[in-house]
Amino acid sequence: MATAVDFPAASEATSGAVGKRARHARPGVRRRREMLLVWVFLLPSLAVFFLYRILPLVWNAVLSAQQFSLFAPSQWIGLDHYREMVDDPVFWTSLRNTLLFMASAPVGILLALAISLIVNAGIRGRDVYRTIVFLSYPLMTVAVGIIWRWMYDEKVGLFNYVLRSLHLIDTPLPFLQSFELALPSVLIANVWQILGFYMIILLAGLQGIPQNLYEAASIDGASPRQQFFRITLPLLRPSLFLAFVIGIMTSFTSFDLVYVMTQGGPSHQSELLITYIYKAAFELSRIDYAAALTIVQFALLVTLTWAGNRLAGGDAGAVESGA
Amino acid sequence: MIKKRTRRTWTHASLHLAMLAVSFCMLLPFYWVLKTSLTGENIFVYPPSIVPVHPHLFYYIDVWYYIPFPRYLLNSVVVSVLSIAANVVFNALAAYALTRHFRGRGAVITVLLSCMMIPFQTTIVPAYLITAKLGLLDSYLGLALPTFSTIVCIFVYKASFEAVPRSLIDAARIDGLSELQIIRRIMLPLSTSAVATNIVLSFIWSWNNFLWPLIVVRDPLMQTLPLGLSRFLSYHENTTGALYAFCIMVLAPGILLFLMAQKEFIRGLTSGATKG
Repeated sequence: MATAVDFPAASEATSGAVGKRARHARPGVRRRREMLLVWVFLLPSLAVFFLYRILPLVWNAVLSAQQFSLFAPSQWIGLDHYREMVDDPVFWTSLRNTLLFMASAPVGILLALAISLIVNAGIRGRDVYRTIVFLSYPLMTVAVGIIWRWMYDEKVGLFNYVLRSLHLIDTPLPFLQSFELALPSVLIANVWQILGFYMIILLAGLQGIPQNLYEAASIDGASPRQQFFRITLPLLRPSLFLAFVIGIMTSFTSFDLVYVMTQGGPSHQSELLITYIYKAAFELSRIDYAAALTIVQFALLVTLTWAGNRLAGGDAGAVESGA
Repeated sequence: MIKKRTRRTWTHASLHLAMLAVSFCMLLPFYWVLKTSLTGENIFVYPPSIVPVHPHLFYYIDVWYYIPFPRYLLNSVVVSVLSIAANVVFNALAAYALTRHFRGRGAVITVLLSCMMIPFQTTIVPAYLITAKLGLLDSYLGLALPTFSTIVCIFVYKASFEAVPRSLIDAARIDGLSELQIIRRIMLPLSTSAVATNIVLSFIWSWNNFLWPLIVVRDPLMQTLPLGLSRFLSYHENTTGALYAFCIMVLAPGILLFLMAQKEFIRGLTSGATKG
């Protein structure tokens, strides 16, 4: 890290040299105090992350192999919960739906790519367009769910009204109560909300591409299409990877949307793993089974991220070195 | 053969057309909910009217009678303020520490980046047990604690702190300022936009948070706005325009803040983005 200069004596730092020599010259007491201070500063944040990220992850793994009870000491039961999952039809439905949710990410990203290319093309009013597309992202998802629920309404919803006016359907469609349509309806609402976030990421990526590459390419006679596939797309890979990771993470974060729009119904047809985890833990009081489900979904997330990273050329993690 | 100039105009026109279509789709839900909140007429009437007929603000007042709106608002505000304050302070401390070289710095950064890969939702079951053990169920602190520090925001601060000239910090140190004073008197005043990003992001995240309050809150008096909204829905279904007025009232602060601080918001998200 070139910019972070070692805790230096003033003269060393201003001359740009890393203060290695200065450190030896300094009394060790001061150095130790500084070290202590660094850790004291880090402590609150690290404590929060330990308490609410790392410990839960480990605890999930432990719980998933236990028979948990509030009133008796927990017992080890090995992989019983995972065995139970194999015979649990709701688990398979929610796993399928979670995968479908993840699969909808590339569709949204493609759409966002088209939008960000247009916005980046320097048309007039680009800031306005950008704001409009992004506006849905910071909204409270519960409210978004209620709004979409309303538009999907069977009797007086906007979609049914439009479809009926165009004579595409004769009888109103019960979007959120139907076995086939419930999940796709939620997916569309989800894409609507997350689209702006993808766009922002891709725009940042596009703006990071040096302009002179395009100039050089057009001097060499490359067509816009060639420029897109030879310059834009390859250099955008880290951003696309990031958008993909965020997309598969929405299969977790979309709890709010599913909870409000369908409650996972009808008969679990729009259940996601995360809503099933919630139900198992807090409605059926099966904390241990919920932990096992969480482990499965986390494994899924890590696997897909790893695969996405490989697809993106394996260097998407390289941004870490810049941190 | 079309002239190049005309073709350019045509391309731009079609691009605008595409973006107008996209904007229409993005804005339609806003319009529809706003219209319903102002009239409520198409709750029982088919076909719905496209423009609002006889708009009124009755539903916006109605909300206050259906649910303890001021109480929910207070809870949401308290939790958000706690979260914002903690984020602004803790993230700054952590980021300042990370601008230093010390043994274990690389490990800390690796841990932070790995934690970013653990969505909060995967932690709900043990996080509930932990919060219960700490005796923080049904409390403001319990609601806000998991959001007290955000990794993305630490990196936003860190990038900003690293841009502060080294000589300035050394001069301050020679003048006898303690490390805390350096953060308060030099780093933070020179990083106002990073502070703004911290405030905006932590506000949006805690304001919108639904799953966590749903789990840790049992007491009706401790409900936050998103919980109130979902309760309202389960009690009254969509039988009243007040539900949609409630939606608008809850969405408004987020939208306003976002429109005012769009730059900070986007910078926060994208800088978190490029940091892995």
